Amino acid sequence: MDLRACACGSGLRHLRCCGLDLATLSPPGASEPLRPLLAEAQAAVAAQPERAEAALLALLELAPGFEEALRLLATLRSRQGRTAVEEVLLRRIVAINPNNFWATNDLALLLLRTGRAAEAETHARNGLRIAPREAQAHNLLGLVLTEIGRPHAGEHHYRQVLTLVAQPDAGLLANLAWNLKSQGRATESRAVYEQAAARDPDLYQTWLGWARLEEADRRLDRARELLERAAQLAPDDPGVRMMSAILTAREGQPEAALAEINRLADDGSRELGPNEWMEKGRLLDQLGRTEEAFAAFAAGKAKARAALGHGYLAEQAAEQARRLRGFFTAERLAFIPRARPAPAGPQPVFVLGFPRSGTTLVEQMLSCHPDISAGDELPVIHDLTQAVPRLLNSPLAYPEALCELWMAEQRTALDRLRDLYLEGAWALGAAMPGEHGGAPGPAWFTDKMPLNETQLGLIGLLFPEAPLIHVLRHPLDVVLSVFANQLTHGFFCAFELEGVARHYALTMDLVAHYRAEMTLRYLPLRYEDLVADPQAAMRRVLAHIGAPFDPACLDFHANPRHARTASYAQVTEPLYDRSVYRYRRYLRALAPVIPLLEPVIARLGYRIETGDDGLGEQCKAPA
Amino acid sequence: MQGAGVSEAADPLAALLAEASADEQAGRLDAAEAKLAAALRQAPDHPHALHLSGIVAFRRGREDDAQALMERSIALAPDVALYHRNICAIYRALGRLEEGREAGLRAIALAPDDPHAYANLAIIHYDLLELEAGLACSDRALELSPELPDAHFERAEVLLLRGMLDEGWDEYEWRFKLPQAGRMLPKGEVPQWDGERRNDGRLLLIGDQGFGDVIQFARYIPWAAARWPEIVAACSAEMRPVLAQFPQIASIHDRWEEVPSFDAYCPLSGLPRLAGTRAANIPGTVPYLQADPERALHWSGRLDRLLPPDLPRVALAWAGRPAHNNDRNRSTTLDRLAPILAVPGVAFVSLQKGPARSGIGTYFGAAPLLNLGPSLETFADTMAVLACVDLVIAVDTSVVHLAGAMARPVWTLLPFAPDWRWLLNRPDTPWYPTMRLYRQAAPRAWDELAGRVAADLAGFRDKIQRPRA
Repeated sequence: MDLRACACGSGLRHLRCCGLDLATLSPPGASEPLRPLLAEAQAAVAAQPERAEAALLALLELAPGFEEALRLLATLRSRQGRTAVEEVLLRRIVAINPNNFWATNDLALLLLRTGRAAEAETHARNGLRIAPREAQAHNLLGLVLTEIGRPHAGEHHYRQVLTLVAQPDAGLLANLAWNLKSQGRATESRAVYEQAAARDPDLYQTWLGWARLEEADRRLDRARELLERAAQLAPDDPGVRMMSAILTAREGQPEAALAEINRLADDGSRELGPNEWMEKGRLLDQLGRTEEAFAAFAAGKAKARAALGHGYLAEQAAEQARRLRGFFTAERLAFIPRARPAPAGPQPVFVLGFPRSGTTLVEQMLSCHPDISAGDELPVIHDLTQAVPRLLNSPLAYPEALCELWMAEQRTALDRLRDLYLEGAWALGAAMPGEHGGAPGPAWFTDKMPLNETQLGLIGLLFPEAPLIHVLRHPLDVVLSVFANQLTHGFFCAFELEGVARHYALTMDLVAHYRAEMTLRYLPLRYEDLVADPQAAMRRVLAHIGAPFDPACLDFHANPRHARTASYAQVTEPLYDRSVYRYRRYLRALAPVIPLLEPVIARLGYRIETGDDGLGEQCKAPA
Repeated sequence: MQGAGVSEAADPLAALLAEASADEQAGRLDAAEAKLAAALRQAPDHPHALHLSGIVAFRRGREDDAQALMERSIALAPDVALYHRNICAIYRALGRLEEGREAGLRAIALAPDDPHAYANLAIIHYDLLELEAGLACSDRALELSPELPDAHFERAEVLLLRGMLDEGWDEYEWRFKLPQAGRMLPKGEVPQWDGERRNDGRLLLIGDQGFGDVIQFARYIPWAAARWPEIVAACSAEMRPVLAQFPQIASIHDRWEEVPSFDAYCPLSGLPRLAGTRAANIPGTVPYLQADPERALHWSGRLDRLLPPDLPRVALAWAGRPAHNNDRNRSTTLDRLAPILAVPGVAFVSLQKGPARSGIGTYFGAAPLLNLGPSLETFADTMAVLACVDLVIAVDTSVVHLAGAMARPVWTLLPFAPDWRWLLNRPDTPWYPTMRLYRQAAPRAWDELAGRVAADLAGFRDKIQRPRA
């Protein structure tokens, strides 16, 4: 008999766990006589978890496919902080019974909290397919969609919950409020938070989320008041304590904020999570403690990688780039019909750039212009790349599926794809007529989805005359800043320093390829130039777009709209240059990736300079 | 470049090298490389194996390797004239003209009766604008080998460049006897036209040489048409939009098998000789090419949508066809034109085609640079764009001929030793009255030239007033 315990740590024997042959399981119902053991475990789980665990292990030894027992064991392991085991068990249930909604729900939530939102979305959508009238199915999908930057779609599902339940609970309302905040609809969000708090004033998450809303809306005193309410209910909650540290930092007390973060792990009961490490690193950076800051970033990334199970997916990224370069060549494109002029309505301005290049700032400035509306990070181009094979009825994947455009019946397909983009963007609130004080609506809207430049080929086909603003910044500053933030874009490149550098170089090579192979209305814009002379830079950008200069663009920090990305706090301040050439303080830490970036640094006309003082004359960006 | 010349009698290595040389000359470079690698394994310091490897490396585009291998072979066998003769060509390709001249002189010293060595050196002298010395080399080569086409052609180039067109045209006829010229003329017994007026029959005009030549000499079509009842033309498909502008041509063909029977033929580049063109009577009436108005309107609208409305528009092209035998000297790279691109208040429109357009991908300057090359399907598009820009700045490629023939303002950037048609020491050309010539001060000295052009462009910009849209 093989008595080996399973290596996954479930507590089961290997043959009853990861070594289990699902084909040998008993049919549903055959294990019903064992239900008393399950009842015993359920009764004991709160007060006597060891007893519950023993009962469950005994039950699963006899009936290793007993779904409810597996789920309860997963819950137990979750409470013990053993996420990997929990995941193994939930995945097993879903494999045994793909129609088990609650296991699917739990798995999606687990994936979401461990940073795997894309996979979470798959399971959340499955959940809704299994149980379309289940409120939690909509709630879950709303949660996931909000998390992955599609709050408009998420709102739909939250609203579905409201139609399915007689009395929405405070949690749902808090989720909806957070969703509205994500859409930049602060006033509506505030109103829903008020409802949620009235419904259940003891739900600390409501106060916490509300505090975050006010913090993003620059009402720091109000945020502090609300956070106090949350702290009264859950003084030890790491999220509450972390928010306090963030607020303290925004109140101009980085040392005190740092102390608050350090106290999160002081008693040894828990370790800092990835986001906490990142915040700590940023505070240390602010305090000039460079080496400690970099170490904190590295620790956060290590944590994030461990939770994710992998780092940068370099091979997948390289394969995608290879296929895009192979497809989008001048010779091939000469035979692809371009989309015809777009229908009336706001047209896109693509603000391109690697994450942390300054795209948020550019959008914030542009959206102060009366003719330009902020679209934010629109996932529509990415969605189209996914949908192209289906929409063109092609047996090939993207981008090769675009070969169908040569077929007679698909000659006008680019028009359809273009219209899908516009409809998608408009539906996501990219530009709404009347948004700027009544009709007519804006002439343009921005789409600043990071790494949209990867899909410059498709963008060029759909919108051959759309203005493209490519925001550039010293590559070492970009890499450092991405490393100091928690992002999932670009094949998870942000999860390791080398990954950021490699993906940056790969992306810039791809952009160079597109620019050489296609006629594009492309304007490079250096972040450093924008900081040094915002008026000159904005004049250039607006001339490129075809819009008249408007001095309002220079008062972007007064823009009541709040950006929804990691840069939100930065774009509420007047322009500052402390982020320009920040890399110079980190040169030693960045040394391993410099050889990867040297060619692109040279191509962009930047240099690598040492020194930790302010901007030296010799370090200005080239004219 | 020649790679034969080693005794292979009873020497297996020599036999192997002879085979490698035969492979190289037949274009079987993989086979040649394999044999040379085997030979060098047997005899790593064998000068001829190294030399042949250098030739193969050169043909592979590995010029630095070629130079290193050949220099090693010369160090090992300094008295082999062939090695000096061949490395002369390598140095020329690498732009190391002084070293090329030294090698060429050494080859002659070692083989004073080798006409090829003189012909080779004549080319280097041309590149250095040492025209007397070049002419002397060609003359000496022709004394030794009166039928050597290379020497006649090189002589023609010097004479034409000096404006001695009457003598030059006759020598220029030797171009069709150059090894690579065989496919340009029709096969069969039909004679080449002698320039006499004919009352019956059909003349076939052939768009020989490069696109620029076709555009430049198309001006003679009315002259030829006045001497024949019927003219037809054969040219590459790309040249159709150019020749189609001459109503005197009854039909245009881009495949030999479709050409109707004809009674005589003449390459377009042969018409100036027949027309008795001299420096003083170059027919410089322009425009003789026009953009199609509808197409020009289309491109004008497109440029208006793609570029800021109030900036003067300057079209750019910085490289010609890579296969051109003087491409290394006449073409440059986008980054070498940086001073021009740095002129503020100008929008640039790239007309560049081919691999050289990759430079656009890494241009990050402040001035708008619109990459139109991929959108230009035919020369009809190029002409339409030329009609919509304020100025054309380009190296010596077909674009400058088009602009000149259309009477558009065009600044041509010339190598130190320009093609003969641009003559010497003058900032203009009788061929194209709207063209300004910018000559390099030294071989491949693009930076200084670009600086001069940039300074002039700033002045040009100030004179252009574009209406705001």
